[in-house]
Amino acid sequence: MSNDVINREEFGDVAVLHIMTTSVDTNSAAAIEATATLSAMRPITVLDFGNVAFINSAGISALLKFVVSARKAGNKLFAMNVSPHHQKIFKMVEMSRFMPTIEERDLAAYR
Amino acid sequence: MERVLVNIPSNPIFERVVRASADELGQAIGLSPERVEDLKLAVSEAVNNAIDHGNQREAAKLVEVTFVLDPDKLEVCIRDQGAGVDQIDFSRRIVEEHNLDSGMHRGFGMYLISSLVDEYDVSSSQQGTVMTLRLYRRETTDE
Repeated sequence: MSNDVINREEFGDVAVLHIMTTSVDTNSAAAIEATATLSAMRPITVLDFGNVAFINSAGISALLKFVVSARKAGNKLFAMNVSPHHQKIFKMVEMSRFMPTIEERDLAAYR
Repeated sequence: MERVLVNIPSNPIFERVVRASADELGQAIGLSPERVEDLKLAVSEAVNNAIDHGNQREAAKLVEVTFVLDPDKLEVCIRDQGAGVDQIDFSRRIVEEHNLDSGMHRGFGMYLISSLVDEYDVSSSQQGTVMTLRLYRRETTDE
């Protein structure tokens, strides 16, 4: 479930997928998509963008695989540690409708 | 006026080289950090478009990127060596439920470009396509 670009953490009903690459783009898209499997997810799945400095449309397309997988399984998908710039981009393409942001402190209850 | 020219083979890994150049040059002309991020994303989309759709990822074909630094703006010309296109669709694209279900997850790039830069234009012929992006230096902070 983990690879060079995603580091997976699980506790209770939560899976946190820490994106380790700084650039979510054409070059990292395949490795990111490969992690977007149902088995990688939990009822609450959180993508952690804390290390991510750049996302382009190829990266957004890869991230949408998580949206599709989460919808199929009836899981809730959230984004965490999203920079203001990337929040703006997610809002522009309405990605935030399908992957709202969550604060790290909101996960404390599940640990 | 100063010019910086970057030529890359049509391999997506080299898009990062152009993006790094955009980062440095955006900062050099005094764009705000948020505008530099806008510039990097717009340039990334245009270069990837040139690699994928213009040059069809034929490594021997180059993508030529010219940064023109003016006192009031930064202009970026992205030129491919493809066969040209009839038109490029810059219309608004968003994530929609029916697209998720059908697996259509692409097509945001040109919409992002049109939203993030101050001006853009495209010319295309059988010798290739040139996309020109302009970001003006702003005195006011509107971000």
